[in-house]
Amino acid sequence: MGEQWMFYFDPNRCIGCDACSIACKQRHDRDATADDWRTVSHLKRGEYPDFEDVPISMSCMHCHDAPCEEVCPPDAILKRDEDGIVTVDRDRCIGCHYCAWACPYGAPTYGDDGLMSKCNMCLGEGPGGGHGQPPKQKAEDGGAKPSCVDNCVGEAIKAGPQSEVMDEASEAAARRFENGAYGSRVIVEPIAEDAEAAEAIRSGEDDRADAWLNG
Amino acid sequence: MSSQGEYGGLTRRTMLKASGVAAGAAAVGGCLSMFDQEDPPVASIQDAEIAYGNCWMCCHDCSQKAYVNDGTVVDITGVDGNPRGSAGPGTEGTLCPKGLNQLDKTHDPDRIKQPYIREDGELREASWEEAFEYTAERLEAFDEEHGAETFLDAGSWAETPIFRHIWRDLYGTPERIGRGVHVCAGPTFVAGGMMGVGSNNRMPDYQNSEYLIMWGRNPFSSFAGQFEPKGILEAVEKNGATLVTIDPQHTQTVQKSDTWLPIKPRTDGALALAMGQVIIEEELYDEEFVEEWTYGFDAYREAVDGKTPEWAAEITGLDPDDIREVAIGFAEAAPQAGISIWTGTAQVGNGWKAAQNITALNGLVGNVDRPGGLRMWQSASPADPFEVQGIDLPNNAEGKEPALRKYEEYEEYPVRHVETIAHNLVPEMVENGHINGIYCHHDMPLKDGNAQGWLEAIEEMELVIAVDAYWNGITRNADVVFADATQLEKDTIGYGSWNSYSQHTWITGGKAAVEPQYDTKPDFDILVGIAEAMGWGEYFPWEDHEAFIDDQLSAFDLSLEELSSGDRNYELIDEYPYEQWKDGDGPAFRFDLDQVPPFVAAAEETGMDTAPEWVPPGTYGDELSEEYPLEFYDTRAVYFSHGSDQALDRLTEKYAERHDLEDREYRGNYLVINPRDAEPRGIETGEMVTVESETGAGELMAYVSERTQPGFVTTVYGYGEGSLRPDDEGMNSMKVHDTQMDPITGQPDRHVAVDVHGGDG
Repeated sequence: MGEQWMFYFDPNRCIGCDACSIACKQRHDRDATADDWRTVSHLKRGEYPDFEDVPISMSCMHCHDAPCEEVCPPDAILKRDEDGIVTVDRDRCIGCHYCAWACPYGAPTYGDDGLMSKCNMCLGEGPGGGHGQPPKQKAEDGGAKPSCVDNCVGEAIKAGPQSEVMDEASEAAARRFENGAYGSRVIVEPIAEDAEAAEAIRSGEDDRADAWLNG
Repeated sequence: MSSQGEYGGLTRRTMLKASGVAAGAAAVGGCLSMFDQEDPPVASIQDAEIAYGNCWMCCHDCSQKAYVNDGTVVDITGVDGNPRGSAGPGTEGTLCPKGLNQLDKTHDPDRIKQPYIREDGELREASWEEAFEYTAERLEAFDEEHGAETFLDAGSWAETPIFRHIWRDLYGTPERIGRGVHVCAGPTFVAGGMMGVGSNNRMPDYQNSEYLIMWGRNPFSSFAGQFEPKGILEAVEKNGATLVTIDPQHTQTVQKSDTWLPIKPRTDGALALAMGQVIIEEELYDEEFVEEWTYGFDAYREAVDGKTPEWAAEITGLDPDDIREVAIGFAEAAPQAGISIWTGTAQVGNGWKAAQNITALNGLVGNVDRPGGLRMWQSASPADPFEVQGIDLPNNAEGKEPALRKYEEYEEYPVRHVETIAHNLVPEMVENGHINGIYCHHDMPLKDGNAQGWLEAIEEMELVIAVDAYWNGITRNADVVFADATQLEKDTIGYGSWNSYSQHTWITGGKAAVEPQYDTKPDFDILVGIAEAMGWGEYFPWEDHEAFIDDQLSAFDLSLEELSSGDRNYELIDEYPYEQWKDGDGPAFRFDLDQVPPFVAAAEETGMDTAPEWVPPGTYGDELSEEYPLEFYDTRAVYFSHGSDQALDRLTEKYAERHDLEDREYRGNYLVINPRDAEPRGIETGEMVTVESETGAGELMAYVSERTQPGFVTTVYGYGEGSLRPDDEGMNSMKVHDTQMDPITGQPDRHVAVDVHGGDG
């Protein structure tokens, strides 16, 4: 069994430019209007000038416990042993949307054909492109760096085997991860802002972003 | 959206793959079509060839790497460590959203696909030969009838310098309008130049800085190369730099800042004087630099006398303690402290004094050309290919005076002492018959001030030659339209100044990644085609643009092939030191401009002092009134640059998503309005509203948000009438503008007094 690959996100370095989201769509040759596999949402709070707008880049986190895999009736979703990447076999997918209900991050998307597609960490290209691919290789070993990582203007997104991502994370982020923040599904740097602002954001109204920031 | 129209819902790469499959299937049975293929595999980037180049979406030369598969660009990314698109050695090179979209642009079926000429009042498709010959005939007739000197060169975004030689040296026109000084940030450029720092007041030495003030700038969304946001993040993380943003609106740069000064629009000049007052009072200025290397300090000291933070607080709406804190923080960190100004403080009627007062702070703290301060950036110097080839170009514009200086009609405009043209005045010049034609290259002047006047002027002009990739108000009204290639279809070279290597000049370049798609041509070939049709072929002996670039690169003993092979396409050239002013003769810095004759003449006519001073809003430009109580200003978004990206679906989609309005069909621009202004007017997000000024109006969709200051409404420019949006969707922000400008440089003053009506309330 290979080591679990994970995403890392540093909100302090995310400038909300959407390059990750656009690069993802281009790498996977998806239409401009198709739902995004990687989204940048903005958690907004407060009145001018006490206003906050925190950009948060999200995608499938390839969760260690993959709730989507658990609920998939035709077993189309696979949490791979070799690299932990969660892939979908679109020949088996029946478009029931159970995975969308189970996913904490809103990652599954559905095209005109009704079938699910989502991030495959650029294991392959295109919808379903990760299915059946050989184990994920690091860029230095000839693998494709996930497009969002490769094109992040602020170097806010990283991906790799868990131990390597942990090495690159700050001590605070690594400690939080080990303590179970974000369900230990993704490593996130703490927001470097004053406590009051952070608290205000934590009690924000955007559910998805709120879930992110609360861990 | 547009790409679905011709591709039947398939995208570029599936089309590429599926069409091969379909062709094969047709040969076998003839009954399968590509639509029978479920989930066709995409053309993989793993098998692709790599081609390097420069991104030109915002014309700032981030290095790029394109993946090409069977003549199609299938992916694109940045080049690690490159000077403009990375934070320097060992860091990731990327492309921003605009840069990534070169891929879509190149293969966009909505591009202008071949040349057009106007016949019997209508544009019709033409061959290249026809278009060149027609252009030559029209140019010759124009010269005979109106004089070549009444033809305006607006070739701003060409990827070759030869347009200047064609229009000035050979055709012989002295009329030239650029985007930088004339519509982008006249006061920043010109005041900086006269004060001794050039236009470097835009770009601090980010990587080495400990204190950075983004003054009316949002470099996390609107940058001149990604090294800007990357460099700031590095300074914050590695140097523990303090980041301060001065802006009336909340931006992503504000979000990342330690301190935000939410200043009232058009009051930056007052804040700068107060900061100077604090720095002098606290004796935190660089006495040695001021004493030995500057001119006019006494006039400056007098100008800031009594301009306390309390005085400025009344004007700027800021807390005096915050003003004091930023002034002291900046001065204490100096010389490792930098200020960046560009358009935000310049596109205002009192922008000249804002630029002068802010730039003065650099001289005061002595950060000029010192690590982490205001760097005096240098550029690499490629060879002049005309010199290399021994070509002696004539100067047919010699002795011809631009209309602004020639005719008494313009005597009331002080700008004529400083500049040779003013954007807002071109419509008047057309009306007077002093300008009768234009060469417009991706320039989009219709978005940049006095839009109604310009829309009429373009129709009025006798000859409009356009080079562009998309249909817009210029190309649709042109007499000749040349279909320009994208940068992925061109050979490119870049060698600007500021970048992520503080002490090096640099070059970057590459060869075309793919052949020009459809029937398009690179601008070099277009311009040479025009020249040959005009009988000037002898001046352009190069076989192609690559040969021309090779002559440029001969100064560095390089060829384009060598520059762009291997695993990168940039080279660092010369290393240069800090404190370069020590080698100069005169003062390194001028607080007072009383020794600069063109400015003295213009200042006298406007009643301005030659030293820094406070000029209140409305002195030049609009004053808010009961009828027009809101201040309107147009801004940029990370998705668009210069009004030429609004045709790209991925970018307009993201802009809509950013405002949570992606479910609406509307893909125009949004009016950002504070709830405190929206509620009394009954305006809610998603409703169409009308913005009205004394001279014009426009309609667009409202976005009610706390991110803008009450009383201050903004939108992104480059939309609406004359833009390249289908059906002119959105609002041309400059339709509410007339001729408001900075009187010294002619820079359009984009702050307009308006009211907003509409909504369901």
